[in-house]
Amino acid sequence: MTNSIPEIRDADLLFVIGSNTTEAHPIIAMEMKRAVGRGARLAVADPRKIWLTEIADWHLQIKPGSDVWLLNAMANVIVTEGLENRAWIAENTEDFEKVRESVLKYTPNEAEAFTGVPARTIREVARAYATTKNAGIFYTLGITEHTTGTDNVYALSNLVLMTGHLGIRSAGMNPLRGQNNVQGANDAGATPVFYPGYQRAAEPDVRAKFAEAWGVPQNEKRGLNLNEMMKAMQRGEIRGMYLMGEDIVISEPNVCKVEAAMNELDFVVVQDIFFNESCRFADVILPAACFAEKDGVFTNSDRRVQRVRKAVEPPGEARADWEILVEIMRRAGVKQPDYTGPGEIYAEMAALAPKFAGISHDRIDREGGLQWPVASADAPGTEYLHKGGVLRGKGLFMPVEYRAPFEEADIEFPLILSTGRTLYHYNAATQTRRSEGLSKKQPEAFVEVHPKTARELGIGDGQLVDVVTRRGRVRCRAMHSKQVKRNTIWMPFHFPTARTNELTTDAGDAVTGTGEYKVCAAKLEAVDEHSRHVFPGSYLTPMEAGE
Amino acid sequence: MSGSKFVVIDGNEVEFREGETILHAARRLGIEIPTLCHDDRLEPAGACRICLVEVEGSRLMQPACAFRTAPGMVVRTNTTRVDRNRQFIISLHLADTVADRDEAEDVSRSKLHDYAAQYGISEGDWPHVESPREGRADDENPFIAFRPDRCIVCAACVRYCDEVEGVSAITLANRGGRTTIATADLRSLDHTTCEMCGGCIAVCPTGAMTEKPALFYGKPERELERVRSTCNFCGVGCQIDINVDREANRIVKVTSPPPGTTVNDGNLCVKGRFANDFVHHPDRLTVPLVREVDGQLREASWDEALDRAVRGLQSVRETHGSDSLAFISSSRCTGEENYLIQKLARAGFGTQNIHQCAAT
Repeated sequence: MTNSIPEIRDADLLFVIGSNTTEAHPIIAMEMKRAVGRGARLAVADPRKIWLTEIADWHLQIKPGSDVWLLNAMANVIVTEGLENRAWIAENTEDFEKVRESVLKYTPNEAEAFTGVPARTIREVARAYATTKNAGIFYTLGITEHTTGTDNVYALSNLVLMTGHLGIRSAGMNPLRGQNNVQGANDAGATPVFYPGYQRAAEPDVRAKFAEAWGVPQNEKRGLNLNEMMKAMQRGEIRGMYLMGEDIVISEPNVCKVEAAMNELDFVVVQDIFFNESCRFADVILPAACFAEKDGVFTNSDRRVQRVRKAVEPPGEARADWEILVEIMRRAGVKQPDYTGPGEIYAEMAALAPKFAGISHDRIDREGGLQWPVASADAPGTEYLHKGGVLRGKGLFMPVEYRAPFEEADIEFPLILSTGRTLYHYNAATQTRRSEGLSKKQPEAFVEVHPKTARELGIGDGQLVDVVTRRGRVRCRAMHSKQVKRNTIWMPFHFPTARTNELTTDAGDAVTGTGEYKVCAAKLEAVDEHSRHVFPGSYLTPMEAGE
Repeated sequence: MSGSKFVVIDGNEVEFREGETILHAARRLGIEIPTLCHDDRLEPAGACRICLVEVEGSRLMQPACAFRTAPGMVVRTNTTRVDRNRQFIISLHLADTVADRDEAEDVSRSKLHDYAAQYGISEGDWPHVESPREGRADDENPFIAFRPDRCIVCAACVRYCDEVEGVSAITLANRGGRTTIATADLRSLDHTTCEMCGGCIAVCPTGAMTEKPALFYGKPERELERVRSTCNFCGVGCQIDINVDREANRIVKVTSPPPGTTVNDGNLCVKGRFANDFVHHPDRLTVPLVREVDGQLREASWDEALDRAVRGLQSVRETHGSDSLAFISSSRCTGEENYLIQKLARAGFGTQNIHQCAAT
């Protein structure tokens, strides 16, 4: 997020796209509700009638995968009606002309055909966004989990740059981070592109710096991202794997292929708090402590580094992940200090990463969470980025052209399947499924189908169906719902009885490799009630599944 | 005093701010005025009457939570009349709820009883009044309990549900002494629009709204140790207070820090507040496991398992090279752990193949 969560309440316009905020980020949604209660206008672009649309001024019920069309059409309205912020553009950006020219052909009228959003609505929202000063954009995986994910983000940032909604309070470009520490994992350099603190792995100086700090030469070869790893594994190029706290055979798209490749690996270590599904492929399983059993920091969506504190002892012999890693490193012969705790590990990272230079456990304990960048021990945190000029020097406009999703509906697979998270469960649900209360509230997998589509297919409300794509088949209950548009279906991915990611495609974004979880072609087949104990593609036997 | 830019509270001047209430102006002077039904996240209601103060020129006392200051206004919060009202209000509320502190605080803390202690009011100043408030004894929702005998009908819960969470699942129902906190048709909360955020529990000043799991656990919040931490679900980074039974090494419940102090402003969602069963779940891995040649897993010592892990990875590297290894980290783990695993990949095994599920 360029801006901060507490600023949301003071915004005058919120443009929420590809984020079911009330379910995925309920507390941010409370801030949005508060802004709307104060009189802020709300535009929600989502294929589904999510809760927020009830209090929205506009719902742009977009066809999945047509985001670039919608956003370019909004840009089209802004430039053709002269609503762009010329002074700001001139001072802070470059290449505006390229985008201005590229969006001219994306007229709202044509956009209506591609996106399903009325041209009038596109015009209204574009005007409102351009002419409101404190206007913020909020998005999540509905934008990024596409083969065009990077393009979608560029299209959004073009809107931000042409209106100058950057570097001020209650505005900006705000990806809402999906997981407690997804920001912090990237901050710490657990990514092939960056060393800690976003120092580029491709730059020789950066590698030299870390080679010296760690006393080990650094590999020059570009590392693989997660999506590339999965494919390299399928080609036999990855032979060994260390998995810490991630259940890839639930969470990766097109999991059947992933499993086949996992079977062929020479050696797999899994470090986790539960015997997750990936453990079936492991040679060594190391029991880890959960967040309540250890110390450390998480970095949230608005770059706020906050403390995690040990509340209870871990069960049995389980150990904190950091303790396990320190021991693995020692045995692997890595030179390292005798860390007495995570505070010292953080200090080592902060000394190597200028963005975190002023952050320490002691300081967070004294002052509460700190938002990076924090230049020094007496410098304050940074509430919002790009204040007084774009960080990069000049904000770069990036023209993007619409590309169709990897898969579109056809005769054989006439429906579009989109996937996501619900309020009551969390991702692979290894944690939330073990809550009696939550499981009671939402016990089993379902697929949302528009009643008219369901009627055409002869599928009743609550009927057992198979959801089928070119990659797999899973079984769950059909739920008639007007949340989805006709011919679009939606499924959560939390349930081991219906592993939604057997269905999704592993076609990834060209830059990030993020899989297209949000769009694939599917069909529904009614299943006889007698088959309710059988779950195609699931590891679980009917007894394990609680039937 | 017209033309003054100040408000005078108990003889101290504070700069006038447009639209500010007496409560907030007093707070800037460090003067605490007791409140039961007030919460900064809610529109003032003036329901509990404990915050009444004297305003010069006004015959009646005024509720500090709702009454806006004006330039030149003179307020007194420390007079006998104000004090007597506070004691009177506390006594009345005590007569209407469970007066005994230990009994009242059997699960959650009670702000009302804190004030009773502070103002030296013991139980039984007034005879107990039996209010015929309806509860929902057969409400089978898993998380939120409502105990009508403890309710003082300040309606902070109802207002939170309307104004902050925006779902309006609970409502005031009936009249007079029968007034209660109800749902439509007295349905179970899980059959209403309730999203189980538990904000009603956090704002309740008497413990009438409380966590069902903690109620079943049966140890008062006062005897639990509080550990401030960060929620481990989504990316908002809500600060949570983990309430621990130290002797039993058990998490009893999670509460939210006071509003205005952290990024979540005192709010939590259903997962943050209630989804902690997994911590003590019997399915947790408790010993290292290694796979035998026959494909079966068996328990192993840490020493053996760590050794196997390192040797296994090293042998892959020796046969196929560093870049045949992949390290997949987790955005659920801490920053320090992510730092260590990328160091392990880059410094320990010489590969840049390190990533995690960072899709946004």
